[in-house]
Amino acid sequence: MVTTLQDNSAQVVRGPATTAPPPPLRRKGPASRRNDTWVAWLLVTPAVLGFGVFFAYPMLRGVYLSFTDFHILSPPVWTGLENIRELLNDNRFWHSLGVTAYFVVLTVVLGIGVSLLTAVVLHRLGVGTTVRGLMILPFLISGVVTALVWTWMLDPQLGIVNQLITWVTGEPVMFFSSDAWAVPTLAALNVWKSMGYNAVLIFAGLQTIPATIYEAGRIDGASEFQMFRSLTLPLLRPILVMVVILNVINATQIFDIVQVSTKGGPADASLVLQMYIYDKAFGQFDFGYAATMSLALFLMLVAVTFTQMRMARAGESDTD
Amino acid sequence: MRIAFAALAAATALVVAGCGSSDAGSGGNTVNWWTWDDKQAVAYGECEKAFEAANPGTDVKITRYNVDDYFTKLTAGFVAGTAPDAFQNSVQFLQAYASQHQLMPLDDLIAKSSVDMKKFSVGVDTWKFTDGKQYALPLDWAASALYYNADMLTKAGVPEADVQRLTWNPDDGGTFDKVVARLTIDKFGKHGDEPGFDKSQIATYGIGAMAGRSFIGETTWAPFVNTLGWRLGDKDQWPTKFNYTDPRFTKTMKWVLSLTDRGFSPKLGTFTTGNQSTISDIDLIGSGKVAMTMGGSWSASGFGKIPGVKVGIAPTVLGPDGKRSVLSNSNGNNIWAGTKNPDLAWKWVSYMGGEECQTRAGATGTFFPSIPAAMDNTVTSMKSQGVDLTVFNQYVKDGVLHPSSAYANGSAVQSAEQPLFEAYFAGQRSDDVFPEMERVSQEILAKN
Repeated sequence: MVTTLQDNSAQVVRGPATTAPPPPLRRKGPASRRNDTWVAWLLVTPAVLGFGVFFAYPMLRGVYLSFTDFHILSPPVWTGLENIRELLNDNRFWHSLGVTAYFVVLTVVLGIGVSLLTAVVLHRLGVGTTVRGLMILPFLISGVVTALVWTWMLDPQLGIVNQLITWVTGEPVMFFSSDAWAVPTLAALNVWKSMGYNAVLIFAGLQTIPATIYEAGRIDGASEFQMFRSLTLPLLRPILVMVVILNVINATQIFDIVQVSTKGGPADASLVLQMYIYDKAFGQFDFGYAATMSLALFLMLVAVTFTQMRMARAGESDTD
Repeated sequence: MRIAFAALAAATALVVAGCGSSDAGSGGNTVNWWTWDDKQAVAYGECEKAFEAANPGTDVKITRYNVDDYFTKLTAGFVAGTAPDAFQNSVQFLQAYASQHQLMPLDDLIAKSSVDMKKFSVGVDTWKFTDGKQYALPLDWAASALYYNADMLTKAGVPEADVQRLTWNPDDGGTFDKVVARLTIDKFGKHGDEPGFDKSQIATYGIGAMAGRSFIGETTWAPFVNTLGWRLGDKDQWPTKFNYTDPRFTKTMKWVLSLTDRGFSPKLGTFTTGNQSTISDIDLIGSGKVAMTMGGSWSASGFGKIPGVKVGIAPTVLGPDGKRSVLSNSNGNNIWAGTKNPDLAWKWVSYMGGEECQTRAGATGTFFPSIPAAMDNTVTSMKSQGVDLTVFNQYVKDGVLHPSSAYANGSAVQSAEQPLFEAYFAGQRSDDVFPEMERVSQEILAKN
């Protein structure tokens, strides 16, 4: 930064003596530099347009719709805070929020635990790209396919998993159709799907930790577990924070595997927020209220992410 | 640079615009007609040929979408202007569409072409909206019956004649309860009415799922509780609440729950995931997992054609007063208010609702025509294929059918009531769920 300023001031000094006030800095570059702005604008135009058309406008319209009564076939009617009042009194909304939170906690705790363990083991074993490629495979499968395949495998009558369970315990487990199992099952599915991806991210983080630190640890006589706790974890924090935040956001937005398997049942046991919003909007065509719930979810996600960033000091690393 | 920018903007605009315009609503001599039933799409294909032959130059396009996507697709079509000229509709959506002026009232057209609405035996009043106008011609009718595996009956020593005349009451379940107990067999071969019967290890359930499924109970508990005189709504059409706290209803629900508790009927989730069958009722009867099941008339030909299994059809139970009471449901044939071709659309719709087309399409047995003469033909035609539909025709002749009522905000009611029913039948909630169910129905039915 300092060097740049010096460069610019040098140019000002070298400028024609007739120019009394120094022109604005950005005008100062050579002719070719000035054209860069246009090229830059041209290059970002598709992205900006895409952002405007597919993100900014829909979002602003969503915010507007959340204050209206909108049943899609007739124009929206402004109702002010009516939807928010309904939201505060809507037991199913709060219930679905609870279900979502339960799902998020299960997914994140289980997911990070398993991926961290996998990544560390892989790192210590020093496996090659092939194994890492295989690890990421479930992530490449679409959520719909994941849910379909697992629904069949876990079916109480026909599923292979339940055939095995029945041999051992004599009774099948109703993974998707008992209220106690529904959310843990969905969380496990989600972990299975995203575990490889997270592990690869954490693996990349592990590679940034200099080997010398471990050497020093070993010389000091630290055990493998002590090194993991006191060296790996703190040094991995920036990556872990990012993975946790991504996982929290992804888990909060879970929809596909629920829609394909339990559809929110039994008895609303797995009614995650996105499922409820979808049902309100596309099942009951109550788009105004669905927009209000989406807005609430958005604000909550912003708050959660912000808090996480602050609390985990994500920008700093202990390697320095 | 400016040109490139403009070109980019134009391209983006094109892409965005492209999202909205697909196969636009038909004009000229084309009529688009939609259904969610694959079998009816084929059946009405017969009418299509005859109609096009009788009206040279016209083109009828029948399109079928899966029922899970059908109404979303339809609504999107209303908004985008790409909805079909005419379409099959369920009464659950009558209020949503009619109140938002998407359906064309047919009264003037009916009067102009002097269609005699009396020719329909069921379903006409179902399609009258709160404004008193007729919005559809009934497209079909359906009711439920008991389907049983005849060999299993013989093995259990239950005469078929008994099953044709099952009695029921909410206190001890009548002969229905006894037959179901007899038909249930555990893994060790003990019947449900024998000592030592193990209700936790069932090989064959006496009766298929009676819990959950729907908040109307069309193919489960409704034909039972209806014999007590109980009706879903406080009014026949456009009710303000559902009578879920009526003692006749709560007593019946207790009995239904006792069927699963005693192991005679599968618990919620045994053969379903997300309230959808993982194994269809037809396969359950075919594989011997279930000996008898309640089912819709639309499944009659499916049950009748299971290879190697003889399936009999019995009417629903006789109530304490010795009478049956069966819910009937009629889908309607609507015309979209935004059609560019109302005359041709009406010509097609009224042709479909005529005796000629109903006889022709109904002969496939995939649906029941609302016109009695056409229905008789369906029964005869299906008999030659080995499926006996006498039971259903007898309902009409005995006058035991009562139409399911039209009510407001159908999908919202379903979405709110279904989980409460599931909670009750899964044993998470007890009787305290009924007042909540009634209150919820009251709130949602009153909206708008």
